[in-house]
Amino acid sequence: MAIDVAADTVEQAETTLFRRPRLTYGFWSWITTADHKKIGLMYGYTAFFFFLAGGIEALLLRIQLAGPDGAFLTAAEYNGLFTTHAVTMIFLFVMPISAAFFNYLLPLMIGARDVAFPRMNAVSFWIFLFGGLFIYSSLIFGTSPPPVGGNLPGGAADASVLGSIPNSGWFIYAPNSGATYSPGTAVDYAALGLQILGVASLISAVNFIVTILNMRAKGMRLLRMPVFVWMTLVVALLLLFSLPIIAIALFMLTFDRQFGTLFFVAEAGGDPILWQHLFWLFGHPEVYILILPAMGIVSETLPVFSKKPLFGYPAVVFAGAAIAFLGFGVWAHHMFASGIPTVAQAAFGLSTMTIAIPTGIKIFNWLGTVWGGRVRLTTPMLFSLGFVALFVIGGLSGVTHAVVPSDWQQTDTYYIVAHFHYVLFGGALFGLFAGIFYWFPKVWGRMYNEALGKWHFWLMFIGMNLTFGPMHWLGLQGMVRRTWVYPEEAGLGAGNFVVTVGAFIIALGVLVFMINWSYSKRRGRVAPNDPWDARTLEWTIPSPTPEYNFAVEPTVTSLDDFWHLKYDEDEEGRAVRKEKADELVDNLIHTNGNPDHEIHLPAPSYFPFIVGLGIMFIAYGIMYHTRPYGIPMLAAGAFVTIGALFAWGSEPLEEVGDDHHGEEDDLEPDGSEASDHAEQQH
Amino acid sequence: MAGGAHHHPQPRQYVSIAIVLAVLTAAEVALFYLEAGVDAIGQNLTVPALLILSALKFYLVVAMFMHLRFEKRLLSRFFTSGAILAGALYLITLSVLGAVVLF
Amino acid sequence: MADIAHGHEEGGGHHQLTGIDSRKLGMWVFLSSEFLFFGALINNYLLFKGRDFGPGTLYPVELYDIPFTSISSFVLLMSSLTMVLAHSALARGDQDQTKTWLFATALLGTIFVSGQFFEFGEFILHGLKLNINPAASAFYMLTGFHGLHVVLGILMLLVLAFKSMRTGGLSEAEGLNVELVGLYWHFVDIIWIVIFVLVYLIQ
Repeated sequence: MAIDVAADTVEQAETTLFRRPRLTYGFWSWITTADHKKIGLMYGYTAFFFFLAGGIEALLLRIQLAGPDGAFLTAAEYNGLFTTHAVTMIFLFVMPISAAFFNYLLPLMIGARDVAFPRMNAVSFWIFLFGGLFIYSSLIFGTSPPPVGGNLPGGAADASVLGSIPNSGWFIYAPNSGATYSPGTAVDYAALGLQILGVASLISAVNFIVTILNMRAKGMRLLRMPVFVWMTLVVALLLLFSLPIIAIALFMLTFDRQFGTLFFVAEAGGDPILWQHLFWLFGHPEVYILILPAMGIVSETLPVFSKKPLFGYPAVVFAGAAIAFLGFGVWAHHMFASGIPTVAQAAFGLSTMTIAIPTGIKIFNWLGTVWGGRVRLTTPMLFSLGFVALFVIGGLSGVTHAVVPSDWQQTDTYYIVAHFHYVLFGGALFGLFAGIFYWFPKVWGRMYNEALGKWHFWLMFIGMNLTFGPMHWLGLQGMVRRTWVYPEEAGLGAGNFVVTVGAFIIALGVLVFMINWSYSKRRGRVAPNDPWDARTLEWTIPSPTPEYNFAVEPTVTSLDDFWHLKYDEDEEGRAVRKEKADELVDNLIHTNGNPDHEIHLPAPSYFPFIVGLGIMFIAYGIMYHTRPYGIPMLAAGAFVTIGALFAWGSEPLEEVGDDHHGEEDDLEPDGSEASDHAEQQH
Repeated sequence: MAGGAHHHPQPRQYVSIAIVLAVLTAAEVALFYLEAGVDAIGQNLTVPALLILSALKFYLVVAMFMHLRFEKRLLSRFFTSGAILAGALYLITLSVLGAVVLF
Repeated sequence: MADIAHGHEEGGGHHQLTGIDSRKLGMWVFLSSEFLFFGALINNYLLFKGRDFGPGTLYPVELYDIPFTSISSFVLLMSSLTMVLAHSALARGDQDQTKTWLFATALLGTIFVSGQFFEFGEFILHGLKLNINPAASAFYMLTGFHGLHVVLGILMLLVLAFKSMRTGGLSEAEGLNVELVGLYWHFVDIIWIVIFVLVYLIQ
């Protein structure tokens, strides 16, 4: 991780088990931090690291498929790579980088100094990190021998390590994922690893919900929250109610594989279709978990770069909530080809189509926002507009899946691959890049390089359409998903070659981004505090964000409060900048950057890190419970986890001498602030 | 919270609630043993009766022991959404899988 | 209750716009999601209990000992009473009674879990192994995960109970912990109320 690591470890000697770590800089300060901004950055860097891994996997896949009868990868390696590519991009990149945005921005946007449970926030991150490492450790420890009586063409047994990573598709369908057809430990790494990641997400979901409900600035009613905060809330609710379902499904799979149960073994009376139900009961809300953060981001950037308020704010909010609600009632549209009853097919087809309504509302509101605005085509704006355009294409191909007969034709073809990459790459990823550039000056206090940013955008935009556009045709021509070769006579060669070229153009775009990021954060032009003339609270404080966020707790009187500080409306409803706007902004930011009293922040702690580590060893122990070292590993992991949790509970909240209300458990934020707020509450 | 504090039941009331819960449980078990002996119509009523009895127990524990009756409405909203969502999703799943006949 | 409640509003930290302590709100939010967790387990059992796994196999329903399970259900139900009495005693500032009722709750919980161990043991002796068929697996997984929740609850209760033995008893902040553990405990109880009827009584 490109975190500035100071070699200095002063004060280390002083720390004991029950004294809280105090370092604010250097390596240990990152390990022990409970600061939402540092945690957000760690989420971001970790997610980006996995993004690179997943991207390299995608490139390897594309090299194999560039021409007919490819011989670059074996079938086993191909299976491992497409599975791990998907698992990585969904669970180790898009979800955590969304979490990075939530972490860094949520408190800033609601005017708080941290999240409701800072140490739980840290534990979410560490559990996620160790879960990701756990999945990737299958590269070293995983095994994937061929099933009894079967072998994969190209020889699975002598495949490289790439054949030992999880290899049964990101949805781990039974019965293929069962012990019979997937011997070895590759699938266990996926099942247990996703279980760990689920724990991390569930904890952060509870944390974000409580933070949003309880810690908004004074005057910020629910319908005065920025849309991004709304989408955070909606995503957290989706996680809250969908993760327990996949947890059970993964437990069942683990039991089947580890303890010989027969849940998904059809010949013994089990039910493989039950896996599909449980998986998609979670999996469909999951796709909204992936896209809604990006929708929230563009709902922030489009108004700013159009110099207009968001068109139809309540409609955008309610549409987001409606998408989430409806998203729980459409799961079986992933299963039209599995032989579910006709009535169910019709019902789920209809419910799926209704999702198009709130989605359409959002798109029209975004267009209405840009329409007639003074548009500035900066990099974040380009990515936001790209998001809208590409998401419309992906959304439309999605509606074709709602039509059951049409879906039967498309099932398991590249048409599906094209669809979900338009919504996830063209949608989620473009939205996330818009957010990265938009908030770059907030995080680093410097501007990114606009020229490189535009190169990045155009490379991504062109590369993305070259990569995923032709997949629509390939799919309709009959190219099936998850095939590692196709014959020359199929006539798919030309299209696939274009796709591979596109993939490398995307890679070039990512390279440009990395250069831009690492150069600009150190050497970029120093950013003004409010570089975009923005509308939300995070721009009312200095950049980079001070450790305490706000020196003075903000009070909000309307939606887009900061905007109204700077702008009046003339008779025709056009925004007119106030004469004193610059002065007002400077004053506000100056006040927010200069606290007149000491501000208590959540104290760092070692235990979140230790809990994450312990949980990883529990997972190893379960997987290897039949080996001699399995049970000891399990016991050690459980001991470390429970011990760390106990120590966590007994950890003093503040250092001795702090004037404090005697709270010992800091599941609450900086309890010492209570004295400041006690008056406000009474 | 402070506002609701003095409405909270006293130990004596908690004990009465527990007695009601015990009686309801006894009724459930009694119904279970009666089931075998009664005619077809009676058997059809047993299942709904058991469900109603357990729903009553569920309600009593949540409302009184967990104090949900005395809490802010937000909490009951969360709680009931979770319960209703779970009920609905799994009922649909069971019916699509053919284990429950909904229609 | 009054003093504890008051203490929390002051000491509870940030704004707390909802007027609900963040930790308590978090607990309720978490418990709401647990419905989906146990719902999936019950779903599995209801799906598989009606399936025919061929001759020579064994179904959990054949081994149910309803009088035994009724008694252990009753024990768990009564542990909810002792839990709420502990909370209520603490609200009155009666640390002695709080301690007693916390230990009583942990004890009743332990009796329930021991009963479940005994039941599992009996079932296994009769040949109902975990992997004999999916109905058995679903039964063990459902009751097992419930039992695991009870065990976690007992651990938390014991921590609180031993803390309440110190001179001065439980602090205000720990008082909230009693409430939180109580919520969790009652939740585990209501899940058993549902399981008792859906799994044991409706056959």
